[in-house]
Amino acid sequence: MNVIEYNNIVERLSMQVSSFQEGFAILSGSNSLKEFSSNFCHILRGSLIISNVNIFFKTSDSSSWESFVIQDNKCLNYLPRLAARSGAGVEYLYDEDFGIIASFPSTGCFWGLIIGNKIDKSPLTELDKITFQMFLQLLDNAYQSITSHNKEKELNFALNHRVVQLNSLIDTGIEISRLHKTSSLLQLSLERAAVLTNASRAVLQIQSENKIISEIGFPEDSDIKKVFESSNRIETFVEFDGLKYLFTLSEKESRNGIAGFDPTDEILLAAFARQVLTAIENEHLHREALDKERMHQEIETAAAIQRRIIPQILPEIEGYDLAGINIPSLEIGGDYYDVRKLKDGRYLIIIADVAGKGVASGLLVNTLNASLNAYVENEFNLTEVAGKLNKIIYKASTPEKYITGFIAILDPPTGTIEYLNAGHNPVFYSSKEKLIKLDKGGFAFGMLDYGMPYQSAFINIEPGEKILFYTDGITEAMNENNEEYSDEKLESFFLGQNHDRAGTFIENLMADIKKHVADTPQSDDITTLCLIRTG
Amino acid sequence: MSSEFNLVSETRDNCLLVNTTGYINNVGGQKIIDEFYMHFGNGINNVILNLAKSNVVNSIGISFLIEIIEKLNQSNGKLIFTNLDPSIEKTFTIMGLFQFAKKADNQEEAFKLL
Repeated sequence: MNVIEYNNIVERLSMQVSSFQEGFAILSGSNSLKEFSSNFCHILRGSLIISNVNIFFKTSDSSSWESFVIQDNKCLNYLPRLAARSGAGVEYLYDEDFGIIASFPSTGCFWGLIIGNKIDKSPLTELDKITFQMFLQLLDNAYQSITSHNKEKELNFALNHRVVQLNSLIDTGIEISRLHKTSSLLQLSLERAAVLTNASRAVLQIQSENKIISEIGFPEDSDIKKVFESSNRIETFVEFDGLKYLFTLSEKESRNGIAGFDPTDEILLAAFARQVLTAIENEHLHREALDKERMHQEIETAAAIQRRIIPQILPEIEGYDLAGINIPSLEIGGDYYDVRKLKDGRYLIIIADVAGKGVASGLLVNTLNASLNAYVENEFNLTEVAGKLNKIIYKASTPEKYITGFIAILDPPTGTIEYLNAGHNPVFYSSKEKLIKLDKGGFAFGMLDYGMPYQSAFINIEPGEKILFYTDGITEAMNENNEEYSDEKLESFFLGQNHDRAGTFIENLMADIKKHVADTPQSDDITTLCLIRTG
Repeated sequence: MSSEFNLVSETRDNCLLVNTTGYINNVGGQKIIDEFYMHFGNGINNVILNLAKSNVVNSIGISFLIEIIEKLNQSNGKLIFTNLDPSIEKTFTIMGLFQFAKKADNQEEAFKLL
């Protein structure tokens, strides 16, 4: 090639540059391999003015050529020659039908071309050969461009899908935390786990001691057996409260059929299972809190009912002043007092305290109150009634529950008091400025049922004398140093007060106790009654 | 919970209306695209896809929908989704479907967008 010919080739190739650029744009804009091949045929035929272009494709060196574009069936006779070739290269044939056989590797594939002769039957020039080589390069570059573009799209899709997975994981966590029905949250989690891993089917089994007690499938009308029959499956489980929640996903989908689950799928499934576990735990705690709240309300109601048993107004007894107070603690207490007029004109005064607090104590107080209601309507014999009360309370209570009580029967005109102390704190009686502790009687009600009779005793209260009935909530009232108000302090207070008004006495006593306990929370009922003979 | 997939379709002018029921996965997506290709090129270059009864779509199902969107975009056609469940709408947004497809509350609103 001389200088003139060389310059001529360069000039003509320069003119081809724009057609290469256009060709690249057309090829790289192709939507399929067939379209890509077809476009290349048009470009090459137009540039070289040749009769036909036949294109073959294979994915590996060892696989067979697949025809993409056949413009002259005679090219198939040349396939063995194409198949015999190895690696890249161009062979110029110069025979009657075809001018070139070429093959070359590209990104993940091989291209094969069988090119017809020029339409005017003229031989290929050097320029044609150079142009052809450049078009082969164009084919390779455009194919790489399409492959890269597709990979980019796949990567974008995969990244977006990861964002969807993360977003859905977060959303599902929030959604199931709002659901209060376990079945709903299990269904939602199973559905999300299946969808985000592209599983065809999913099953959640709830097992107890290896027995299936419940099953949920996704889609809901799918055959659950198929999930466990599939060899393409992953599973995980969580356990709570003796139940095992087994999640199984099967047959991961792809556009080409079934694919294998990858480690990310297993991580996702485990994450959903953990969310379910957390939601179930939360639901359990929520239910427990509701139960506690309901029980608390019931206890408050019971406490309110019990407080109504204690009389708000005491009867007026001529020649006597009587006052009482009951300050319940937060729980249902077991303190009780009442004053009833008997049929014979005498008055029954009772103070009692059930061992312990709570609903059971409240029930026993109610039993005591109901029994007394029955007995005060009839002729009242204190020791007999005490014996009957003991049997009733014994039958109604558990071994650790009993009632200490003090019952006094006052005959107002004479001041005679028959009393009986059933294991209660000694009642204080001031007689001629001396303190007498009234403690005769017997066991606490309901403690024993040996048939031992209760014994009563008598005193005679004179004008100006007083009697103090109280429960241990007074003597055991604690201050912040855990020091009790104490029997001694109560005795001293009792003797130090000289009032003719029972109400004033009690007000002062409460003030003294308050002074002792200060801001320490009250832990027990405080109950007291004061009877003063005024005339 | 979602059930197995089904679809019904009709054509109106140059638009294919598709109503789906159930899980849009490999199976559902294939059925939708088969239905699409049956009509695409025969004067149909718009699709309205009513997903009122499909509240679950996996990424394979989405890849079929993207293929339909690409085909329609090449022929200056449109794909409009209607009656989308909020979770699907969010998924489609993240996957970028609404860059090339539209959404409407219902079929009537979808026709106004064509």
